[in-house]
Amino acid sequence: MEHINAADLSTSELNKKIIQGLKAGGEVSIQNPHSMHNIATGLSRPGTVTIQGSTGFYTGGFLEGSTVIIEGNAGWYVGDNMMDGELLIRKNTGCNAGTYLSGGTVVIYGSTGSRVGYGMKGGTIIVCGSVGAWAGQMTLGGKLIVLGKLGADIGESMYRGAIFVRDKDAEKKLGSNVFLDHIQAGEARELEELFKRYGIDAKSEAFQVIRPLPSGRHSYALFNPELKPELAQKMRS
Amino acid sequence: MNSTIKKDVEPKDVQHGIWNKETISEIDYKAGAGKHRIRGCGATRYMPTFDDLMVLPSQLSRMSLDTYREDCDTRTVLGKRTATRPLVIETPIMIAGMSYGALSKEAKIALAKATALTGTVISNGEGGLLPEELENSYRQSVQILPSRFGFSKRNIEAADMLEFLVGIGAKPGLSGHLMGNKITKEIAEFRQLPVGIDLHSHPRHGDAFGADDLVVKMEQLRELTHGEVPIFMKIAAGRVRDDVKIAVKVGVDGIILDGAQGGTGAAPVMATRHLGIPTMPALVQAVRTLEEMGVKDEVSLIVSGGVTDGADLAKVIAIGADAVAIGTGAMVAMGCRVCLRCHTGKCGFGIGTQNPEFRKRLDIDGAAERVANYIKAMTAEAVLLAKAAGKTRLKNLEREDLRSITLEACAMTGIPLVGSNYVFGERFGFES
Repeated sequence: MEHINAADLSTSELNKKIIQGLKAGGEVSIQNPHSMHNIATGLSRPGTVTIQGSTGFYTGGFLEGSTVIIEGNAGWYVGDNMMDGELLIRKNTGCNAGTYLSGGTVVIYGSTGSRVGYGMKGGTIIVCGSVGAWAGQMTLGGKLIVLGKLGADIGESMYRGAIFVRDKDAEKKLGSNVFLDHIQAGEARELEELFKRYGIDAKSEAFQVIRPLPSGRHSYALFNPELKPELAQKMRS
Repeated sequence: MNSTIKKDVEPKDVQHGIWNKETISEIDYKAGAGKHRIRGCGATRYMPTFDDLMVLPSQLSRMSLDTYREDCDTRTVLGKRTATRPLVIETPIMIAGMSYGALSKEAKIALAKATALTGTVISNGEGGLLPEELENSYRQSVQILPSRFGFSKRNIEAADMLEFLVGIGAKPGLSGHLMGNKITKEIAEFRQLPVGIDLHSHPRHGDAFGADDLVVKMEQLRELTHGEVPIFMKIAAGRVRDDVKIAVKVGVDGIILDGAQGGTGAAPVMATRHLGIPTMPALVQAVRTLEEMGVKDEVSLIVSGGVTDGADLAKVIAIGADAVAIGTGAMVAMGCRVCLRCHTGKCGFGIGTQNPEFRKRLDIDGAAERVANYIKAMTAEAVLLAKAAGKTRLKNLEREDLRSITLEACAMTGIPLVGSNYVFGERFGFES
């Protein structure tokens, strides 16, 4: 295990040292990350990087193949544009976690902010806590699994993919162009495997699935402005 | 005898005002459809152009270059602010970002081949990087759009230049728009989308909400590209002064400024007509801002939107840009007749279509040669003007070489009115 003290390093220096560390032994531990931005950007070398603390923005952005573990909180955009590998966050994250994810697995053991999985195209995101508004907005593929409470407008304008939820109030929180469906046997098995692999205490049968409407054509407020003349009647004395 | 035949003549009133045929047809459409109209190509209305500026020739005060026997350098270096591998192109004319989807594969290949014939750069546009485009292009610019359709780390690795796209001149502030009839199976796979949907893509970058985040995002992109590749930000002309300041602060190597005359495959007519400001005043404002910030020499500036010939190129460079991007012009060179029907996907020339029969009509190599010829001729036109103005480098054209022929252009650009030293409006590098 290589130990790196990030206290006096620039982002670029730290990322270079991470690559050198992985080359040398396959395992790297980072002390004093001090919420630095852009840690492990585009890392594509096999191995495990453990960050002993909290990180700033874009941790593990464009990650491709490595395992990155954050032992604290992560800032906005953690795992953005991730291609492959694993990104495990032990505590909470800011907004837009896993934005544009196209592969790999992000596990957030705490809660996350709004727009988790925004525009994701593949891969898996598991949130053990709750999520903010617009989770999975404009999803093009992949799986988003939420164990806790949902925010408003989940799955807004999804094109493809699936969002697994167990919030009893999911029906009231759906975005437009999606519907709530039963979980299929194959999907349940995948969930069970994921829960086992990442040490998550949950059962797949409790989950429902949010899917895009099968029509393939979305309706938008702009195209059908809802004017309500009945609400604009003259004041009666 | 009085030969005049007395007749009751009914005077003919011709409606030149508000209630012309276009207005009436617009209202008829809306009265029937109950929605706004989508159309291809961009604005059809009049906007101020570079034609309102004239280039001053050298006579006794300075010496002209021999048009036929002396060189005028057109090689252009873009993005040298921080990138360690700036982009070098042979002529300051790039092919603007037009997507595979809006354009046919054949058209994209032809455009890429034209860049190889002329030594310039092509931008991939929305919806992924076509392998055939990358194989055939001389230099490849890759756009990072809010939608990220077909986008991955592979695209960034292939790029000679990156464009972080914030908006385009034809529909600034709006999301991308591709009509369902153009989303064939092939396009759908390429963009990772279901077949045949009307695509209304993301309006904002999901991984950079606001200017402060963009500073960190730029650092991320530098990390990914090892600081080698120039990073541009493409912005539509609106609040140019503020936007340019922010882009510079964010740390870009260059700016692509797209004026309201810029084209597109499909956009609400409202947007093309009424959103944004024209290219010429936008360019002036951008240059002025870069000069005020003291970064004019380090931040590259590319402009697009209504650039059609070498005169536009020469004037744009004289005002202070480093290069232009051409979109519609390149399509016209391939055979497009600007029928404004790109959105239907029924382009009979095989350019703005995915119809297999129509696509066969475009001769790729022939189209590539025509686009290359157009770029060469445009370069030659600009060089002709530059030599007449006594410049050994196209880039040496300067504002002092220009005069405005209309009050409007004068007030808008700060370039003095012809025959005078008067400027009506903000001055722009000219002493009073």
